[in-house]
Amino acid sequence: MPISLYGFLEGDTVGLLILADDGDTLEVLAGKLQAAASLRVAARDVVRVVYKDQTMDPTMTVAQAGWEALDRFDVLSG
Amino acid sequence: MLSREEWLPLARKLDWDYSYVREDEVFPEVISGRPWLPHSEWKDWEESFKTSYREYVDNQYEKDMAVQAVHDAVGRIENVQKLAVPWLNSLKVHAAALPLAEFTGVIGNLRGARFGRDSAWRTMATFGALDEYRHTQIPLLLFHPLLRLDSQFDWAHKFYHTNNWFAVAARHFFDELTVGQNAIEFHIATNVVLETGFTNLQFVGLASLARESGDHMFERMVTSIQTDEARHAQIGHPVLATIMKHDPKYVQYLVDKWFWRNWRLFSILTGLSIDYLTAPEQRPYSFKEFMEEWIIDQFLRTLDEFGLEKPWYWDLLLDELDIYHHMIYASAYSYRATLWFNFVMPGPAERKWLRQKYPKYWDDMDAVWEQISERWRTVGPGAANELAVHGTAMPTFCDLCQMPLSAGTPRKNTARVLVHDGRKYIFCSEPCQWIFLHEPERYASHKDIVKRVLSGEAPSQLPNLLMEYFNLTPETWGKDVHHGDYEWLGARKHSAA
Repeated sequence: MPISLYGFLEGDTVGLLILADDGDTLEVLAGKLQAAASLRVAARDVVRVVYKDQTMDPTMTVAQAGWEALDRFDVLSG
Repeated sequence: MLSREEWLPLARKLDWDYSYVREDEVFPEVISGRPWLPHSEWKDWEESFKTSYREYVDNQYEKDMAVQAVHDAVGRIENVQKLAVPWLNSLKVHAAALPLAEFTGVIGNLRGARFGRDSAWRTMATFGALDEYRHTQIPLLLFHPLLRLDSQFDWAHKFYHTNNWFAVAARHFFDELTVGQNAIEFHIATNVVLETGFTNLQFVGLASLARESGDHMFERMVTSIQTDEARHAQIGHPVLATIMKHDPKYVQYLVDKWFWRNWRLFSILTGLSIDYLTAPEQRPYSFKEFMEEWIIDQFLRTLDEFGLEKPWYWDLLLDELDIYHHMIYASAYSYRATLWFNFVMPGPAERKWLRQKYPKYWDDMDAVWEQISERWRTVGPGAANELAVHGTAMPTFCDLCQMPLSAGTPRKNTARVLVHDGRKYIFCSEPCQWIFLHEPERYASHKDIVKRVLSGEAPSQLPNLLMEYFNLTPETWGKDVHHGDYEWLGARKHSAA
């Protein structure tokens, strides 16, 4: 099931609306945000997904993480 | 026959005691404003200009003739064609944002002209309404002929009638400030904060910027407008002084709220014009230097004069001087087709200047411009490649100011999610959330562009959004002024072509 999220990539100048599937892993989600912001931010190989100040397990799915529509997530270096 | 000095006070002070209605029925709190005070608290309301209608008309006639003379001398299309292309786009920004915003000022002033609590206040607000009519008509008159030069000037009339994201943000601001506002909040927010705090001095700065850019028509226009602002801005000062005696916390709230709301709009209009849309050799100062010299010091003196404190977010605002409009410009450049004017990409010389003026965060901004430059190198220059150097994902917007979520820094965006009455909101910054939480009944039902897309009210596909909802066309939507053809970009990267 699709879910719209506010994504913020470290290095970017604006937050983006990211359409995730609840079966997407957070690693896949980080890739979607990096691709969406690639005009302004160079892709990084090693990133982590942060939600409510917690670094998340990248193998977890959006559904497992319990995220809801219009939640904020961040993708940071390292 | 009475002398002017004897006649004017009689003509301006025409209050009387009501015999068959109550005073609070003539001036209901909901539209006159709060705290509701009897007229005895307002009877000493006074301002320094004390103009009669005849003097007003004579004076305005002279000013209109002066504008007309400059227009006849240097306002023709061939004069405008000689202006630098980036500045021409700054003109398009102001051509759209200014005239109908001034018209909302007519409505606000007319509210003061009827529901202001003293007759001298009502007289001055009547002149204020006439001023704002003038500020609507002059730019419309001057910009209309430029349509023959460039169809993007159509947005002088069109802007506020569209659902373009920037128009939504500007309308959200002006509808609250002027159209739907009670007389007390209108005059404090507009006269004291917007006009005394920002536009009165902004117009002096803009006139100087226009002069440096060789645009004598725009210089004359804003100078002429500024002289009206200096007069009618005085209305708000005695209003504020009276309310301060009865409810200083409310005044502090209004000043804090409206300074922030003004800053959000002003920093974009003026920040982009000074630091990006004026040729580097014609910039007399950076936007930050302009703010520090013209706005910040003067505003602090005004606060001190009225016994008010600095807004609680002052340190945050000073920090934003270094970064906010840069975040907005880079974001807007990468979504330029969503706007009605064209953009210039800062090259090495401009970026060196920006680094000198904004050392605190420029490394992070420079990385963004380097990445955008790299995309142009990859796809190559040309109008056909504009959308290949353009954002595709939906950008996001603040539920209070309606501006993009571009606050904070590239390393740490300050957007924050709030659940209020079971509905989710997002704000670009702590002050925007703070304003929302003070008056949620005022803001909660408004939908930003993202919520409109998600609810199906606005199209989700970018081309449809641009043409059906933002009222743009391929001819009028924003582009890079050089279509990526910058000598400093060097050769195209053939391997990635």
